[in-house]
Amino acid sequence: MEKKKLYPENSNGKNKINRRIFLTSIGNTATGIVLLGSFGVTLEYLSPNVLLEIPKIFKVGPVNSIQPNSIIYEPEQRTFVIRDEQGYFYALSAVCTHLGCTTKWNDSGAAGNPNAVISCPCHGSLFNKRGEVIQGPAIRALDKYRIQLEEDKLVINTAEKVSEDEMILKV
Amino acid sequence: MKILNWLAQTKIWQSIFRTKLPISTNLDKSLVIFNSLTLHIHPVKVRLRAIKFSYTFYLGMISFFLFVLLIVTGILLMLYYQPAIPHAYNNMKDLEFVVSNGSYLRNMHRWSAHLMVITVFLHMLRVFYKGAYKPPREFNWIIGIVLLIITLLLSYTGYLLPYDQLSYWAVTVGTNIVQYIPIAGEKIRFLLLGGNEIGEYTLVRFYVLHCVILPLFMVLLIALHFWRIRKDGGLS
Ligand code: HEM
Ligand code: FES
Repeated sequence: MEKKKLYPENSNGKNKINRRIFLTSIGNTATGIVLLGSFGVTLEYLSPNVLLEIPKIFKVGPVNSIQPNSIIYEPEQRTFVIRDEQGYFYALSAVCTHLGCTTKWNDSGAAGNPNAVISCPCHGSLFNKRGEVIQGPAIRALDKYRIQLEEDKLVINTAEKVSEDEMILKV
Repeated sequence: MKILNWLAQTKIWQSIFRTKLPISTNLDKSLVIFNSLTLHIHPVKVRLRAIKFSYTFYLGMISFFLFVLLIVTGILLMLYYQPAIPHAYNNMKDLEFVVSNGSYLRNMHRWSAHLMVITVFLHMLRVFYKGAYKPPREFNWIIGIVLLIITLLLSYTGYLLPYDQLSYWAVTVGTNIVQYIPIAGEKIRFLLLGGNEIGEYTLVRFYVLHCVILPLFMVLLIALHFWRIRKDGGLS
């Protein structure tokens, strides 16, 4: 059976373009461009430009009112601010690295493990006071945020995640 | 009876219903279907086996019935619900404790939703074990899979609307799972939430998905699903 071709061919096998094919192609191309454009515009529209979300930078202090070996939990930013035994500061995200629930600090530990001071209510991940994983399903340690001293207050920036060597603020 | 007979003779009746009454012969019966919109989805004749309970367990029809129930109760719930923080949660409490029969309606909607997920799934199992997915019905199986996905998405988007603790954390966990999609994950999460965290925009987005976009797709696909059953030669 002879196959029907979308476009008729010349005797030399090249596609023949007549007026109808020419105009249809232009029409189809124009429609395609408009559709693609509307799709792009719609996609852009779907991303909000102004968000009324909580500020990334917040202050805690004054420092000398915070006892060594204590923690402050900031529920708005979901952040633990910790002063350790030596009096150094660091800030840990309270957002579980498994699927984003808010973890809870419990000084006496959880699940019979006194080191598991941070625990997640959703699927039971446990972390130590440095935010390292003790028990899954989480596989990544809690995020550490940049913490700096400004006059007598601590400034924490939740937009800036830092590595283990940079997490400690010595005062 | 006399009034009915007279009614059936009037011009108004005859302009609405094309079939001449009374319906007595088999031809008359087939004309009822033949002369109506139903013809597009329902044939004039069906095999006895196709309407036997033990063949389909009516699971598809039960799913469809639940869907209709969900539309009706859903529209009624919309009259007392505002997709805004903190109204959403308070509206739900009002529905439970203040609005007459509100908790009845809400429970109808909720239980039907749970049931529909189960019946759609069982319907799929039935189709699978009866081999009803085989050609020429393979495309209807694909439509069915999309229907299952839409059913699950409707469940999931509806879950946020009460805006209680369960809602909040289920959506936190769910959108974080979405985030693990390669390349586009972060962007899809941002678009779903309308931001980086669950907030006002998230609630509105889920509301629009739950009440407009997903039901619309569902209705279109169910129509296609039914029409295909007929065009594929009725139930297998
Ligand atoms: C919203 C969900 C759905 C609705 C309302 C629905 C509705 C129906 C109805 C009323 C029937 C007639 C037979 C029966 O009652 O069992 C049917 C048949 C069928 N359905 Fe569905 N369905 C849905 C989902 C699915 C799913 C998830 C699948 C599979 C992936 C599927 C595949 C099929 C196939 C292949 C047939 C033809 C069966 C045959 O010829 O024996 N459907 N559907
Ligand atoms: S979200 Fe914390 S364990 Fe799953």
